[in-house]
Amino acid sequence: MTETQIIKKIKKLKAIKPRSDWVLLNKRQILGEERRIEIFPFLRPVYAGLFCLLFLVGLFEFSQESLPGDSLYYLKKITEKSQIIFSSEEEKPRIKLELVNKRLEELDQIVQENEVRKLASALKEYRASVSEVDNKNLIRAMTTTSDWMIVKEIIKNEEQLQTEYGVVLGEVSKEESGFIPLREQVKQEVERSIEDLKERSLNEEDRALLEEAKEYYEEGDYNKAWEKISDLSQKRVLTE
Amino acid sequence: MANPREKFSKIYDKYIDKIYRFVFLKVSSQEIAEDLTSEVFLKTWRFFKEKGQEIENIQAFLYRTARNLVTDHYRQKGRIRIVSINNPLIIDPRQDLERDSELNSDIEVIKMVMSDLKDDYQNVLIMHYLDDLSIDEISELLGKTNGATRVLVHRALKSLKKALKDKVEEV
Repeated sequence: MTETQIIKKIKKLKAIKPRSDWVLLNKRQILGEERRIEIFPFLRPVYAGLFCLLFLVGLFEFSQESLPGDSLYYLKKITEKSQIIFSSEEEKPRIKLELVNKRLEELDQIVQENEVRKLASALKEYRASVSEVDNKNLIRAMTTTSDWMIVKEIIKNEEQLQTEYGVVLGEVSKEESGFIPLREQVKQEVERSIEDLKERSLNEEDRALLEEAKEYYEEGDYNKAWEKISDLSQKRVLTE
Repeated sequence: MANPREKFSKIYDKYIDKIYRFVFLKVSSQEIAEDLTSEVFLKTWRFFKEKGQEIENIQAFLYRTARNLVTDHYRQKGRIRIVSINNPLIIDPRQDLERDSELNSDIEVIKMVMSDLKDDYQNVLIMHYLDDLSIDEISELLGKTNGATRVLVHRALKSLKKALKDKVEEV
């Protein structure tokens, strides 16, 4: 065998080649992974922290759409509780009323979507939110224009759920005895005020306002009845 | 001007076949050859990123790294060099089947015989005849004079010739 023949044989080894898929994958691994590591490697803990933070923020944000009975609902409650804790004493009654309204909106959504499974939890949450609003704060809200708007909204929503969808908001179980829907509480307050005003000496104009309030009360429109009482009280304060 | 990643990407494409073949002929295992070749390029890339300007001859650097890694591979746990004829070879798919079979047989024989040669002989044969490196380049890579390299190539070829002759007589 000549040298040329041997060299020819050696050159046949050129047929040995790596697998083409491995060549590509290997290149990607070497250059690709290095690219991730090479960008500010000292910031990796910061990236991880930032990622966790964004994830948590996203999770809390996402939980705001949850309904009672959902797994993320407790996160929504945490957010609301922190909102109450970090608010001033003056803001607390308004926030509590807004939460009652929120619970009613949840109930409405559940009823509309016919999510029977979540109904009991939603009612429980709603009742708990109403219990948070004590009588003193309710009266205060009823006499403050901006808060009264929220109360009116709550009453409207309660009425809608009861009359349109037949949801029994006030049916209480043993452990929840003593629960009264907000509409009922407003009704009692209107009733008390009418009785109180009946005892007072009123001029003709005031008596006409009281009569109007009584009519609305008897029709079950406690919002309007209360507004007449408010007008009357305001007038009396001004004249006195 | 291309960034280091783009530059190295071109280097990878240019040398991956050669370095893989160089390693494969020494370890005779596709899996080990892939692992070691991958390590050669990873090490080179790390060095290239930091001191790319200092590498005067990237080809020499790659071969040197490959040689060192193969040596380390055999040094670890006292591995013995075994030549397996069962390892699949990746052959240019354009060849037809008859030629494939003939080529495979030739390749197996030459691979087996070459693996019995001295390491230095294997290196120069692969570099000069397979990878088409000039005597100058091999001299630089091995740290030898041109004359000494020429002698080494001549002796390696002579040794291979004898080994092939012995193999034929054996069969």
